Amino acid sequence: MFTNTLFLLSALVTLGGAVAVVYSQNLMHACIYLLASLFGVAGLYACIGADFLAATQLVVYAGGVVILMLFAIMLTGGTGNNINRYGLEKVAAMGNKKTYFFAGITAVIFSLVILKILANVLKAQPASVLAANEPTVERLGTILATDHILAFEISSILLLGALIGAAVISRPRKERHD
Amino acid sequence: MSTFNLDVYMPVVILIALALLVAGGSMLLGSFIRPHHPNKLKETAYECGEEPIGSAWANFNVRFYVIALIFIIFDVESALMFPVAAVFKRFNEIGLGGTLLISITTFTLVLVAGIVYCWKKGDLDWVKSFNPQVNVASKDK
Amino acid sequence: MNSTVVTYLSQSNEFSAVVKWLTTHLGFDATSLVTFVIFAVASLIVVGALATIGGLGTYAERKISADLQMRQGPNRVGPYGILQFLADGVKMILKEDIIPANADKFTFILAPFLCMVGVFATLAVVPFSSGFMLADLNVGIFYLVGMASLVGVGVFLGGYASNSKWSMLGGMRGASQIISYEIPGTITIVSIVLLAGGLSLKTLISGQGGLPQEWYLFHNPFAFIGFFVYFISALAETNRAPFDLPEAESELVSGYHTEYSGMRFGLFALAEYIEVFVVCGVAVALFLGGYKVPFDLGTGQILVDKLGMDGMIAKNIGQVLELGSFFTKTFALYYVVIWVRWTLPRLRVDQLMTLCWKYLTPIALFNLLGCAVWMYAFDGKSIYSIIFNSAAAVAGNH
Repeated sequence: MFTNTLFLLSALVTLGGAVAVVYSQNLMHACIYLLASLFGVAGLYACIGADFLAATQLVVYAGGVVILMLFAIMLTGGTGNNINRYGLEKVAAMGNKKTYFFAGITAVIFSLVILKILANVLKAQPASVLAANEPTVERLGTILATDHILAFEISSILLLGALIGAAVISRPRKERHD
Repeated sequence: MSTFNLDVYMPVVILIALALLVAGGSMLLGSFIRPHHPNKLKETAYECGEEPIGSAWANFNVRFYVIALIFIIFDVESALMFPVAAVFKRFNEIGLGGTLLISITTFTLVLVAGIVYCWKKGDLDWVKSFNPQVNVASKDK
Repeated sequence: MNSTVVTYLSQSNEFSAVVKWLTTHLGFDATSLVTFVIFAVASLIVVGALATIGGLGTYAERKISADLQMRQGPNRVGPYGILQFLADGVKMILKEDIIPANADKFTFILAPFLCMVGVFATLAVVPFSSGFMLADLNVGIFYLVGMASLVGVGVFLGGYASNSKWSMLGGMRGASQIISYEIPGTITIVSIVLLAGGLSLKTLISGQGGLPQEWYLFHNPFAFIGFFVYFISALAETNRAPFDLPEAESELVSGYHTEYSGMRFGLFALAEYIEVFVVCGVAVALFLGGYKVPFDLGTGQILVDKLGMDGMIAKNIGQVLELGSFFTKTFALYYVVIWVRWTLPRLRVDQLMTLCWKYLTPIALFNLLGCAVWMYAFDGKSIYSIIFNSAAAVAGNH
């Protein structure tokens, strides 16, 4: 009962947020809708029992990436005026009724085709059975510390590269003429 | 019925709903009894009595963005560390603590190397000099 | 099944009786209905209690600051002015709601709501006692970190939406400060997770005992340093002085909520005071033994054995003791937070960032490695037990 409620709520928030992101012409608002969408995805993860993934989604995406995006928008000076100095709209319109109509039809056709392909696979798979709130953290930790220890270590190199990259791009450029 | 129990998440949903209810309810309650006499002066942004010039939405310094970038890197790092840290005790009890200790140490030291690099290059200084040869922070002392 | 307030209550006979009665009368399995009702009531109690604590926090803030500055503080409304917060609340609801004409209205309205949601959602895992915590999620502490980071988004959006220079500066500072200080805080939490071997708050607390030498604070020198790292970052994350740069009144008028009036400002303030309580509670749970009561009085087993009491009543008495233990420690920390605010001067922005990235983060990483080495070298024993055991061994040799 509650599982269904949680799933429906999360799915609604995710889809509603995603649609609003596309529909919104204000970048700041789009970012807020994206936050809602990411939040909903965390709920979806929680629905399938992946509690650690859900929390990571909250910490990294809802807390980190959204702030990063907000700061990135502020680098451009926010959304103060939508018209640039040449009198053109900065934020291009996301389409009109005609394009929405055709996009809708295309989406429906594509999803039907994909469903048709997936239907056999889905029917063949038995419904997965999870134990009551099996602690995924311990399993993840064990896997990260044994089988995938190399991936764990390499990811630190990846993070190091990202850290140095972030530092380098932010450095003030050298003055050519003194 | 579902195959597994998600009832533990019930308080989370209830609390989020309650937060919206409390906030929305107090605003709604207020809307019945509070005065509403807007005028142009009231609705201008407060700038200590001066008339505001232009919008506040200006381009912001890139250093905020860099802070956010570094934050995400450490956020991901802690997200990766949490599960490994959670099993450390158990591994230690069955005598595999040494392996895990080495793995955690390597992981952390690689990131420490990153911090040391940024520190040496002056990227962690808030007040930056535009002449890379002169380090403002060191001149302060 | 994780332990929640429902699993605690389901130990009693009345619970199954109620479920059975409802099941026969309603014609369907009433377990989930009863679960929902209990959760809803418990959440209401928690929110009510925490809102009162948040309100009393403003009163305590003013009274303690008055004490420190040899003033009277609020003393008109109610005995010793204790009902001041109710008067403030009524005043805020009665105040006119002003939204600046140039503001981004949608974001302006949304920002305080985001702060409230972020703070209220963290309440789900705050361990008030072993029985009375709303939900003991497997990822408890990590979930708390994630939800609390929503407040940063709220603060930034509040500052942005106002379209006022003061607010914008305050919001920008606030967001960068909150995310910066999340790093040393989170890394310190990882080091405690390392000691406890689990993310749920119950696991974190169960590794500790009621007496100070059994706390993680005195477990090893690294955890001791870690407590202060965590406490400082918690102060900064909740925008408390000396880290209240986002609302520095001497330079930014009122920071990110300059343009907020009436109850909208009240929501920000309420969220802040509740968040202070939550971070104090987490600090207590991580380092100061949480709800543990000395000599295992919390389980109530001793009452059953010595006095022959009924099991459930003894358990309830134990729960009350645990609640008392948790709240005493948390309020003590709350007092320290207010005390710090009225003692220390505010930091400068560059000092703030230097403190975070050049001091706290390296120290937190060092603590993490230190805790790992300690666990490996001493098999997870605390410094007290090592000294005690070696002393006993020496005494035994005589």
